[in-house]
Amino acid sequence: MLQLQMVWRIAFLCVWAGTMAGCRNEAAPPTNAAVARTFLGQHPIDVVCTTGPVTDMLRKLGGEHLEVTGLMGPGVDPHLYRAVPADIERLSAADMIFYNGLHLEGRMADLFEQLAARKATFAVTHALVEVKDRRLRKPPEFEGYYDPHVWHDPRLWAECVKYAAQVLSEFDPSHQDEYSRNRDAYLKELDEADRYCRERLETIPADQRVLVSAHDAFGYFCIAYGLTSMPLKGVSTEDEVTIGRMDEVVAFLVKQKIKAVFVESATAPQIVRALIEPCREHGHEVRIGGELYADALGSPASGADNYLGMIKANVDTIVSALK
Amino acid sequence: MIAESQSTPSTARATAPALEIHDMTVAYHRKPVLWDIDLAVPEGKLVGIVGPNGAGKTTLIKAVLGLLPLASGKVLIYGKPYDEQRSLIGYVPQRESVDWDFPVTVNDVVLMGTYGRVGWIWRPGAAEREIAERCLAQVGMSDFANRQIRQLSGGQQQRVFLARALAQDAMIYFMDEPFSGVDAATEAAIIELLQKLRSAGKTVFVVHHDLQTVRSYFDYVILLNMRLVAYGPTETTFTPANLHKTYGGRLTILDEAAEAVRKREPIR
Amino acid sequence: MIAASITTNVMLGTALLGATAGVIGTFAVLRRRALVSDMLSHAALPGICVAFLITQSRDLLTLSLGALASGLAGIAVMTVLRRWTRTKEDAAIGIVLSTFFGAGVVLLSIIQQQPTGNQAGLHSYLFGETAGITRRDVQLIAGVAVLCLIVVSLLYKEFKLLSFDPDFATAQGWPTLRLDLWMMGTLAIVTIVGLPICGVILMAALVIIPGAAARFWTDRLGRMLVIAALAGASAGGLGTFLASPLPQRLFGTDLLDATKLPPGPLIVLTAAVFFLISLLFAPQRGIVARAVAELRLRVRIAREHLLRALYELSEPQQPQRPYIDRDQLLAQRHWSEWLLNWWLGRLAARGYLELDDHRVRLTAAGFAAAADVTRTHRLWELFLVESAGIASDHVDRDADDVEHMLPAPLIRDLEERLAGAGRLPTAPQRVPGSPHELL
Repeated sequence: MLQLQMVWRIAFLCVWAGTMAGCRNEAAPPTNAAVARTFLGQHPIDVVCTTGPVTDMLRKLGGEHLEVTGLMGPGVDPHLYRAVPADIERLSAADMIFYNGLHLEGRMADLFEQLAARKATFAVTHALVEVKDRRLRKPPEFEGYYDPHVWHDPRLWAECVKYAAQVLSEFDPSHQDEYSRNRDAYLKELDEADRYCRERLETIPADQRVLVSAHDAFGYFCIAYGLTSMPLKGVSTEDEVTIGRMDEVVAFLVKQKIKAVFVESATAPQIVRALIEPCREHGHEVRIGGELYADALGSPASGADNYLGMIKANVDTIVSALK
Repeated sequence: MIAESQSTPSTARATAPALEIHDMTVAYHRKPVLWDIDLAVPEGKLVGIVGPNGAGKTTLIKAVLGLLPLASGKVLIYGKPYDEQRSLIGYVPQRESVDWDFPVTVNDVVLMGTYGRVGWIWRPGAAEREIAERCLAQVGMSDFANRQIRQLSGGQQQRVFLARALAQDAMIYFMDEPFSGVDAATEAAIIELLQKLRSAGKTVFVVHHDLQTVRSYFDYVILLNMRLVAYGPTETTFTPANLHKTYGGRLTILDEAAEAVRKREPIR
Repeated sequence: MIAASITTNVMLGTALLGATAGVIGTFAVLRRRALVSDMLSHAALPGICVAFLITQSRDLLTLSLGALASGLAGIAVMTVLRRWTRTKEDAAIGIVLSTFFGAGVVLLSIIQQQPTGNQAGLHSYLFGETAGITRRDVQLIAGVAVLCLIVVSLLYKEFKLLSFDPDFATAQGWPTLRLDLWMMGTLAIVTIVGLPICGVILMAALVIIPGAAARFWTDRLGRMLVIAALAGASAGGLGTFLASPLPQRLFGTDLLDATKLPPGPLIVLTAAVFFLISLLFAPQRGIVARAVAELRLRVRIAREHLLRALYELSEPQQPQRPYIDRDQLLAQRHWSEWLLNWWLGRLAARGYLELDDHRVRLTAAGFAAAADVTRTHRLWELFLVESAGIASDHVDRDADDVEHMLPAPLIRDLEERLAGAGRLPTAPQRVPGSPHELL
């Protein structure tokens, strides 16, 4: 019996550890040996990516020269994603591999380390880590480790796009020009997305610019657009919420008369819903403003199944709820 | 389902034997433990069930009481299926079969004997408490009514089980080794009580180990060794020839001694 | 005060859940099925997954119904394994727990491959969010508590019998299988309702610990249920209180930083503290009480041994009371010198002994007491030889062990029976009113 209990406890500890690790710093940058290699095979280049945003990025950059596969479908939590045998097969067969990094794909970290030794494997956030970009967040509860949710700030994401385009050009110099062109076009789109975010979010009254969500995924987003981020939990979705934190958040909501709070697409909504009642008791009606895509993209039907759509959907949800 | 009418025995008693077993085979996991048992025991007997270890004595009782599934055959109590006659049955399981650290008092345990007549949901009332008191007195345990059962000696625990069976107010009693782990004084007291039950027209089946006392205790025996070897009045059945058939060549003086030692061990 | 309203809700919820789990858990503990709640928590996972796969909804009620269905299926499989195969209870629980949980993990993988994903939401169902208890949760828990109370109070007698002696219950005609399902079904409902609120680990703790702790305090099932309910309720309430900002505001202490401590683990720890207190300090069953009782018994036995030795050494010269050498006394038995000296001192202080540096002499009162002890011993010795059929060479040692356990009425009974047989040793002299007058 004891062993069985142990088994499951270990299983969940792994999830736990995986998620915690998911929010920590990238330990080993990809080997330069891999970067130096160039592509000699048949086009299109077989590229395998992990999360939705990374997949979307590579599709935009590569155009017809890349055959891009994303491992994690829309709505999947990258922290907890376990590689199934089919994934490993696909990764082994790939010419290039791109992933988010900063341990977002917590359970696949070891796998990427192994792959990097013999394959062109890149973490798109590597560019930020390398130059120790000052915008990188170190959440207080994870002292010394970076928050991996960089894609929520389009300008940070642009740095990642530049890096990806650069390694792509080095890997396949024959289409260098096209990659540069695609990059510039995509950077322009990101610029527009940034402007859209800024303009839309500025329509929210200054005293309503507060984002209350289940866990700390919108740190970069809030810093970029002057919102106050008020997550119930830390960067890890696994922590249990404390009564003290609930109390703080409720007190803040009541005092600032914040109109709405937000559930996330990939975590259970109960804990955010639990905020409504105590607010009501203190004479403030707060409502669920909608579902945000915190850790993953949306389903095809939602229109948030690509990066730009996701950013737009989040911003629209926030604006219409808080305006 | 539990409180059946008490009138059945008096009407059926005249004709049917107290216990009839027809063609009973019991198997534990495809391994038969009892084969083709066929017997009928008349009312008002003190019946010893005798046989070597592993002969299926406990199995016989459990199968009769419906605690084990029958591979074949049927059991009749006063000519009717067991399920209809449960209220006529009293049961003393092996002492080791329960957790004596369970948080109940002696009185609680004896009251369990009356649960059958109380039926669903209702709690035992004054009448049942009186029955329990009387039964405890019968086994000489009145002073211990409010003791937790863990504080009792082996013999006292056995008496409590006996009192619980008495509280069932049955016509037929099945007792699985009521003499195991009891001192000589208690054994004497128990056998006296069993004889009283017999005088009152009850039938008592007792799984028994000590061959030396069989003759003096029981007026009817069932000799068992996976098959029914013999059954009938002790006088005519408990013979060296039948014993030899029951115990095989093992019934030497040495084996008897070994048997005596073995019976002290807990039997599962 | 906002903290108060949140805390009250959570306290109410966890206290009610603790009380309910304590009551039904008591039966589980007594039946050595404490791990059934753990099994249920794990067996819930495939049900949660299937419910999600079918409805594609993360609604709590839908998922709970799925969890309940697979929990009950787990119980059914466990019962079948136990009743119709050779599998032992603990193995059956283990098999169901691991198999169902394994199936759940496989289903989670399948869900993760689906375009809609969302598996993280399902996963958090098993961990629970104690701080997120809403009024609706409290109402739900209260409903379950009432249901549990009704079932347990209606079927109290049946559950008691089933837990103590299931074979006897079957022989008496009770449908034990159905009763068992009622009991385990109630446990399942309590566990499944508590699961999303408290999570797997806390739920198992609330089911097991209150009952286990209550067992130390009483030998009655009814009282045990009440104590378990109170222990569960106070573990929930107190644990939540400690994890809330309230202590800090009420007492101004910074002992526990509430914003850093989630209530779930604190509730488990509070329950564990209750258990520890019970284990150590419960009357009779607690470690301390047992150690004290053991020590007292030893001391009492030493006293009786001393009195008997003194009597036996004085006996040849009756009715005179001779002086006895201390060394001779020490050699009479295997006893520790300090205990002997301590008792000599105490008996002298009570006026039973005249004492100087080397010698000891019984006073008249002491002689009476010593004769009394000796007589009891001999009575018992004779009883064992005459009535109990025990080999006579074992008697002395047995008598030493048992005479201190005999209740007074039984001693009187023995005395009468043996006096009737003319075997009573010389009656002791009457004890004078005050020993001091004689000194």
